[in-house]
Amino acid sequence: MTHTLHRRGTEESLKTDFVVFAITAQSVNAKGMSPVFKKFFDIVKKYNPDNMGDMRQGSVLSVDYSTLVDNVQDNTIAHAVFNDADTVAKVVRELKEADTGASIVISGLRSETARIANATNVELHTQEVSLGIHGKTEKLPSEKVLAITTMCGHGMIASRLVETMVEKIKKGKITAHKAAMEIARQCTCGVGNIKRTESLLREMATM
Amino acid sequence: MRILDSCIGCKMCVPYCPMNAIEVVDKKAVIDLDECVECGTCLKAGVCPTGSLEMEETLPPARQLRKNFSDPWVSHPTTNVPGRGTEEMKTNEVTGRFKRGFCGIAAELGRPGVGTRFYDVEKVAKACAEFGVEFEPLNPVTSIMTDTATGAIDPQYHNEKALSAIVEFICPNEKVTAVLKRIKEVAATLDTVFSLDICCRADEDGTFAMDAYVKEAGIKASINGKTNIGLGRPRAND
Repeated sequence: MTHTLHRRGTEESLKTDFVVFAITAQSVNAKGMSPVFKKFFDIVKKYNPDNMGDMRQGSVLSVDYSTLVDNVQDNTIAHAVFNDADTVAKVVRELKEADTGASIVISGLRSETARIANATNVELHTQEVSLGIHGKTEKLPSEKVLAITTMCGHGMIASRLVETMVEKIKKGKITAHKAAMEIARQCTCGVGNIKRTESLLREMATM
Repeated sequence: MRILDSCIGCKMCVPYCPMNAIEVVDKKAVIDLDECVECGTCLKAGVCPTGSLEMEETLPPARQLRKNFSDPWVSHPTTNVPGRGTEEMKTNEVTGRFKRGFCGIAAELGRPGVGTRFYDVEKVAKACAEFGVEFEPLNPVTSIMTDTATGAIDPQYHNEKALSAIVEFICPNEKVTAVLKRIKEVAATLDTVFSLDICCRADEDGTFAMDAYVKEAGIKASINGKTNIGLGRPRAND
């Protein structure tokens, strides 16, 4: 049901992982809304997001920012990733003031999102909660690998890519930062959290 | 996807495939087409030094179905948005899809990273249909059902594979615990995994009404979630 839910990890790690995105309803208010997405990008960019992108063009790791903004379409979803709740609160405050008419959604720790909503005086209108992974779970990779691969809800980050990058880091063939960028680049919506991925890769490379 | 004769067998593309469907045999990359879901991740990665990965311009219907459910840049005709999901709660303050007293439940088969055959998707859909749930009409899975009353999926697609496919529906709050318990039962019969979630309107005091139902079903809700903060306009009637 959602491309930014179902992220795995410890509470401490998830505290560094928030996605804020803008979307419009195709049956109600989507037509002619591409300027709203441009406004969204203008606002979030001021707060130095960890990553950005839209569902039609890709992330800023594969498309430069001006191209992203210039070519945004009415029926996209625009995303920005942040590493702390306080910055998200600042972003939400400005998005609220902009009053663009687009729906704004926050993905992150429920407790932190409630705190952000309280601080910015916005409502918790509708909530969605992950109920975990079920079925043949023996087919899954380790929780450490899942913490990275589940950042891309569309499944574009292969577990084997994460494992390959960890081995390359161990051998000194790539830095954790470059490996994180390469992994996050696979997520075409721009919701991969580069800083968190780098931190998780460092942990795995020292195990 | 196909690999051209110009492939030099360098293995660069191999780790990028989410389905582990690429291997190098006799110094040439080979795609296991039964496992390939046409997501195009290998091509989008842009790592092939000889440009030997190619997506066919026209795919047969069954392969196109795989692509529709696996490549997030493809918009389904039913949704008009990229990706395999729907707007669901993301625009709920505008669409009014989820009203108080009802919740949305979604089981995303194949997620994370395992992939799913549609016979497994049907098992979950049929189990949920036993409770008379309302399948999301815009969801691409619903569009390949032959009977939304039973959750039956067109048999021609049963053995096709996708990165993931979402069984998505609305049900009244009083049925939530029973539905979740039934989903747990059918989970044991699957050859894949699924990510499960639930959504609803927040209570007036901001609490999440589903927590109690979920707990009663013996499922632990995650500490993270997704929240629509109600800024969309025009507002739907509550």
